[in-house]
Amino acid sequence: MGDGRLDLPQGTLDLLILRTLALGPLHGWAISERIQQVSRDMLQVPQGSLYPALHRLERRGWISPQWGSSDNNRRAKYYALTRKGQKQLAAETQSWHKMIGAVGLILDMD
Amino acid sequence: MLSDLRYRLRAFFRRHDVERDLDDELQFHLERQKDKYIASGIPSMEAARRVRIDFGTTDAIKDQCRDAWGIWAIDETGRNIRYAARTLAKRPGFTTVAVLTLGLGIGANGAVFSALNAVVLRPLAFPDAHQLLSIDQYEPGATQPFWRGYVAPARLEDWQRMAGAFQGITGYYLDDLTETSGELPERISRAWVAPRFFDVCAVAPRSGRIFTRDEERFGGPPAAIVSERLWNRRFGKDDRQQHALRIGNRSVPIVGVMPQSFVFPNGDVDIWSPSPPDAPYAQSRTATWFRTIGRLRPGLTLEQAASELNRVQAALGQQYPATDAKLAIRLMSLKAATVGEVTKSLWMLFAAVSLLLLVACTNIASLLLARNAERRREISVRLSLGASRAAVVRQLLTETLFLASMGSALGIAIATVAFQAFRTLGAGLPRMTEIRLDWSLVVYCFTCAVGAATLFGLVPALRTARLVVHEANLHRRTTTMSTHRLQWTLVGVQVALSVTLLFGAGLLIRSFDRLARVPLGFDPSRVMTFRITGNWGETTDMVALRRRVLTTLETLRRVPGVAAAATSMAVPGAPFQFDTELRIAEAPADDQRRITARSRVVSSGYFDVLHIPVIAGTQCKDNEPVPGAVVNRSFEGLYLTGRTAVGAHIREMASGPIVGSGTIVGVVGDAREQGLNEPPAPTVYWCNNAPNPTPLFLVRTYAEDPAAIAETVRRRIHEIEPARAVYELMPLEQRLGDTLAENRLRTILLSSFALTAVLLAAVGLYGTLSYIVNMRRREIGVRMAMGAVRRTTVMMFLKQGIAVTAAGCAAGVWLSAAMGQGLAGMLFDVTPLDPSTFAAVLVLVIAIGAVASIWPAIRAARVDPIQVLREE
Repeated sequence: MGDGRLDLPQGTLDLLILRTLALGPLHGWAISERIQQVSRDMLQVPQGSLYPALHRLERRGWISPQWGSSDNNRRAKYYALTRKGQKQLAAETQSWHKMIGAVGLILDMD
Repeated sequence: MLSDLRYRLRAFFRRHDVERDLDDELQFHLERQKDKYIASGIPSMEAARRVRIDFGTTDAIKDQCRDAWGIWAIDETGRNIRYAARTLAKRPGFTTVAVLTLGLGIGANGAVFSALNAVVLRPLAFPDAHQLLSIDQYEPGATQPFWRGYVAPARLEDWQRMAGAFQGITGYYLDDLTETSGELPERISRAWVAPRFFDVCAVAPRSGRIFTRDEERFGGPPAAIVSERLWNRRFGKDDRQQHALRIGNRSVPIVGVMPQSFVFPNGDVDIWSPSPPDAPYAQSRTATWFRTIGRLRPGLTLEQAASELNRVQAALGQQYPATDAKLAIRLMSLKAATVGEVTKSLWMLFAAVSLLLLVACTNIASLLLARNAERRREISVRLSLGASRAAVVRQLLTETLFLASMGSALGIAIATVAFQAFRTLGAGLPRMTEIRLDWSLVVYCFTCAVGAATLFGLVPALRTARLVVHEANLHRRTTTMSTHRLQWTLVGVQVALSVTLLFGAGLLIRSFDRLARVPLGFDPSRVMTFRITGNWGETTDMVALRRRVLTTLETLRRVPGVAAAATSMAVPGAPFQFDTELRIAEAPADDQRRITARSRVVSSGYFDVLHIPVIAGTQCKDNEPVPGAVVNRSFEGLYLTGRTAVGAHIREMASGPIVGSGTIVGVVGDAREQGLNEPPAPTVYWCNNAPNPTPLFLVRTYAEDPAAIAETVRRRIHEIEPARAVYELMPLEQRLGDTLAENRLRTILLSSFALTAVLLAAVGLYGTLSYIVNMRRREIGVRMAMGAVRRTTVMMFLKQGIAVTAAGCAAGVWLSAAMGQGLAGMLFDVTPLDPSTFAAVLVLVIAIGAVASIWPAIRAARVDPIQVLREE
């Protein structure tokens, strides 16, 4: 942790993927890059868990895949947020904020 | 939910596409990452290396993705099955023993189940068979002659008219017919049926129709219904043409053909003819014609029908006091009446064979425990590579299920062979021909296998997985005493169950042996028996009938090789219910004793044929002016003490259709005429060579094998009686053997089950002890190194084996006591807790236990301490 990076707390990967895809369809590599960029390099997606997570979300019907060509003209699998996924994102975001608030209350007590 | 299913189905069925997509997706990721590194100035080789470090192995990721597809269960099962096949193939010895054990257990169980199913569980082959009842008339408190239960046509019609609980009541009796178109006359069995017979049976003809009301009336148009068998034999399969039978000098049109499956009253019947109740000769209320059956109205119970029918009979008793007042009626389901006592034997055998299956399961459970223990290393490697405990348990269970399905396949094969044996051994028992192989057997065997696999596979699998985890945590390799305790318990259970089965078999064998040794009082060897066709029409002229039978007897006595010939109404040595109440004319008037005796009806020469000694007077003679009778020694001893027997006059209290009164002409020795298991009772032999048209002929031959005379007899009878057929030609000993069919069947089967169980228990004991010796090699090595004597080592293991056997025996004794009680009704001259059988079984089992333990014990003593210590 010396370089200031954080491990992803359990169960947050799904939430981050959904939030990232809310801006528009992306392929897997772009998702991990985007998370890293936006978090100013503090969060790094464990490469091993990204794809199983994507497949799991796809099976649940929260994201839907689409094959397309990438900027350098290679075949790539793009994921887009479905309507079900949007609802899920809203619900998970809300509960995340609640949780942060609750944890904050406890940490700030004296 | 639906999209989830669609997703999984695609993943499963379009597997190839899905895998390719996954490859592409990961490849794309790797290349983009590499491009990124190169763009930041890292050389190509180093970039590729970093990508691999970042990403880890793609295989692991792919596995996790596949998990996410939700088809791992199918995947894993396929993998487990392949793995199980490989591991089992690697251990052919274990696999063979396990499959054989299971196959035997399931096969024997399946065979008995198919018999139980056919005979006891499956309804009779009639629609709504539960509505069919057998109806018996009897005289409460009186002696029961054999014609008890045969109902007069007039009374049957009264019941039909007055009893509302029945849809219909009908009856039948059997008669012979001689068919003369072949080279030798052939006997055809015919059933005379009361009106409504086919309505009550509710079985439609295969072609044609049943009798019309007109045909069932006296003087109506003649008609016959024939069996499919007779139809095919006589007329081919041509159904369109009208055909007629020639019976005597009459032509009788065939109006219907019954299907092959219709075997009522029995499978021999080829012709059904109507017996009109309004015929002038059918009006006597004392006639004894019909075996009676009835079909209940839907929803009524047997008890309701019985009370109603008894009310009806009471009303008839007031109307016809002389003939009907004393009669009562007994109802029984037709199935119970048909199957009778066999039910109990079959359930007993089924219980026994289920114990055998339990022994087999227990045996495999202990084998599996031992084997899984040897595989700890393999399992702990799997666990440390990240397999979950559940996955290990699933894999072990797959192996067991795999074994079980092989076992059940073998079991089905064994059952198909065994059930043939069953039919042969059980020939002569009711419904045996109905035992067939069908889907129920296959389903049953597989259910057994799956049940057994879960039973014997789950515990060892759970246990192994837990123990290995436990050990892995402790970094130790020791044997845990608790495994041994479980294994020893399993062996003990096997021993206990084997003792139980052996004890049961021992009782039956002793009983059978006693039965075979019982002094019969007559000599059944070298006696040939047969019948000659005749029909009830002949009984209108009894004198002519007797003359005809006498002529036949005289002809037989002249055949070379024949020592003596006689007729009898019943098979000697086989049960025959014919009890009569008598009065002795010479007895003082104040002698109020009730004299009851079993009656048999025999011709001259009977006692010569059977070698029953004549003690006083003479035996029956041909052409006696006064009807004679011979009594046995028991009769004389009980009823004629202090009086000369010969010359006394006896008279039947209720005169029946066959005998009435007679003079005692002789006294003979006691014989077990009622069956081997019944002691001789006071008996009267009435002298009459033809009480019915088809008495049993008995011929004593000089030759050792009475069957050798069969063809000669057939030819001679044909010469004098070209229109009659000889049938049921068989040695007397064979007939007596058939009366023991049920006894023999259960004795042989239970013995083979018991032996198999003991064998399995021995294998279990041997296997378990060998395993323990293996596990304790190190300890033994250390002991030996410390100077333990070989003999002590041998004794240590031998003692352990015998101790478990003894414990099993102790438990087995308790179970055996229950087994003995269950067998109580089937034993002859042996008590259900016979101590000598107990002793023999215990000695045998402990001896077998010792033999099974000695080899592993000796192997333990041969452990080389140096080698063992080096292995560490």
